[in-house]
Amino acid sequence: MDQSEIDALLKAAGSQPAAAKPKKSKDAPAAAAAPAQPASHAPAQGHGDASPEGQVISELDAVTAVTERETNKVMDQLDLISQLVGRQQALITEVMQQPGAQDKSVQEAIREIMASGKEIQDKVFEAMDLMQFQDITRQKLERIVFHLRQIHDYIVDLLGTGLKDENERASISHTIQTTGTRPDEQKAHADAVVEEFMKRQKKG
Amino acid sequence: MKILIVDDSSTMRRIIINTLSRIGYTDVVEAEHGKAGLEKLNQGGVEMIITDWNMPEMDGLEFVQTVRGQNPNIPILMVTTNAAKEDIVQALQSGVNNYVVKPFTPETLKEKIESLLG
Repeated sequence: MDQSEIDALLKAAGSQPAAAKPKKSKDAPAAAAAPAQPASHAPAQGHGDASPEGQVISELDAVTAVTERETNKVMDQLDLISQLVGRQQALITEVMQQPGAQDKSVQEAIREIMASGKEIQDKVFEAMDLMQFQDITRQKLERIVFHLRQIHDYIVDLLGTGLKDENERASISHTIQTTGTRPDEQKAHADAVVEEFMKRQKKG
Repeated sequence: MKILIVDDSSTMRRIIINTLSRIGYTDVVEAEHGKAGLEKLNQGGVEMIITDWNMPEMDGLEFVQTVRGQNPNIPILMVTTNAAKEDIVQALQSGVNNYVVKPFTPETLKEKIESLLG
């Protein structure tokens, strides 16, 4: 992280009014009077307020913008490696066709080089797929902010009007718990729900 | 086969495009939210949609509902972090044909696309 990025983070963290940042707010906390709902369904709302919540969201936006940019830089490097391996493989294929490379042992060595090149390529693709963590982590952070807002509102409500019902309290961590981090962690679950829905559609 | 990818994360769009190119789909258009997705769709030629749910401007659910109002047949695959059963059912009721929870493997994406394209 360079100095300009550190400055941007510090700026977003509080030394600058939150209104200065017109960034998106896809999972922004719902308005104070809104009923509890999963963060993913919360209505979009601007961050143009200087409240503590507005500052937290602006800070979060800055953090996720930096991680997205840095993740894309890693992706650029992986793309480059992939292209270089592809170029190397094309060159090796040319070499294989040269008269001087027809010796059995040379051909065998070249085949091994090609195989290891393919292995590198596969690992590069695998690393690219793992970069999904950035988007998932971002959404988890956004949901945490939403739930913090819910807790904040709950405490205010508790001090003012008494206890809320159990269901509302239980919903606080629901969305975070249902978000996986490993590839295909939720595949069987999602497939089962899709299948069940399709069966009902056919019956109905 | 032109595929429209709608996701506000540039990283995620890149990963999906990369996966698609590895399984033979290289004709891709991108949009960063539902509103932009509708504009791309209206430019024509799109034969399949892969969309996220949580996006600014217009989320995936509203996008799918709008698309279904115009085009009841185009295959739509939703790729999202929302894994709760009620979310999946809501997406299906809105017109999504199939559903993938992030993070996914390339094999899963391939399997879902191929099943949608029959």
